[in-house]
Amino acid sequence: MSVKPFLKIAVQVVLLYGIYRVGVWLQVNLSLPLPGSIIGFLLLFSLLSLKLIPVFIIEKGSRFLLKHLTLFFVPVTVGVMQYDYFFQGKGLLLIPAVLVSTVLVMIISAKIFEYVMSKTKYSND
Amino acid sequence: MTNTVLTMLASVGTILIYIGARYGYRRVTYPFMMPILTTTLVIIIILIAFGMPYQRYMDGAQWIDELLGPAVVALAFPLYQQRAMIKCYSLPLLIGIFVGVCVGIMTGFGFAWLLGVPESIRTSLLPKSVTTPVAMEIAQVSGGTPAIAVVFVMVAGIGGVILAPYLFKWVKIRSDLGKGISLGAGSHAIGTAKSLEYGERAAAVSSVAMTLSALFASVLVPLFVYFTS
Repeated sequence: MSVKPFLKIAVQVVLLYGIYRVGVWLQVNLSLPLPGSIIGFLLLFSLLSLKLIPVFIIEKGSRFLLKHLTLFFVPVTVGVMQYDYFFQGKGLLLIPAVLVSTVLVMIISAKIFEYVMSKTKYSND
Repeated sequence: MTNTVLTMLASVGTILIYIGARYGYRRVTYPFMMPILTTTLVIIIILIAFGMPYQRYMDGAQWIDELLGPAVVALAFPLYQQRAMIKCYSLPLLIGIFVGVCVGIMTGFGFAWLLGVPESIRTSLLPKSVTTPVAMEIAQVSGGTPAIAVVFVMVAGIGGVILAPYLFKWVKIRSDLGKGISLGAGSHAIGTAKSLEYGERAAAVSSVAMTLSALFASVLVPLFVYFTS
């Protein structure tokens, strides 16, 4: 196997990282209420939509990062271990409460979406 | 332990455990085998077993954390690919997600109120369905504790993706779009990562749901707290 595809992915990931840093910079300097990553996401979407950059220069890097999105969460999720004291007593009861609330959000948002979609007569595909 | 060795151990270890977890998940596609859960648990067990504090692990693994930023940016790619579909469904998307955010805030508040937890914890719970950095910021401005908010964000994220397959069967959410919205609105970016399993359309609406939830919640949570306290 040649090194070229890996190099391509690496260069594109660096580019995406650059856009992320621009997002962080904008957040700090304009004190926006959104995190830098979301600003970078909106920025990249705008760049693509306005055809200021072609899709192919970020496609391989994006696919690679999205394929391994789970991995990038791990350092933060491991941080839950610092709050073990919280899971004793009343805090423990908040876990099922949060789960039930989350499940309600999941059901209702999807059901309302499907309802409004059917009312506005969108074709399904 | 020198910093280089620490970085090597924490990063290589995390990646190896993640690869193993992915392999396991491919063999047994059982919701409790979700790589986010198995990888996290295995690492926590190892850290506790070796008496390594979280902060030292994070020092070594922070470049992995740093890649979360560009990975969120990369979500613009499926969104762009599916832009025509999103535009076509913009009204049902906006309404569904807005109602979802309201339900999350009100039920979260209601349960916490019933359990009688202190107000700062109750407030920290409200942005649970919002992606971590935004949730921390929302908790901060609303009088909650950002670190506690992260715990709830993780419970909503990991819990949501584990329960999702059962839920979709139980309440009959069959369309890939419905699944994507459900995951993005309830379980933020962890849900969006899961939605990739349901295809590019699901991932695209899921990233829209995640972003809109973050936008709506950053306005609604502080307002809600203002009027309830």
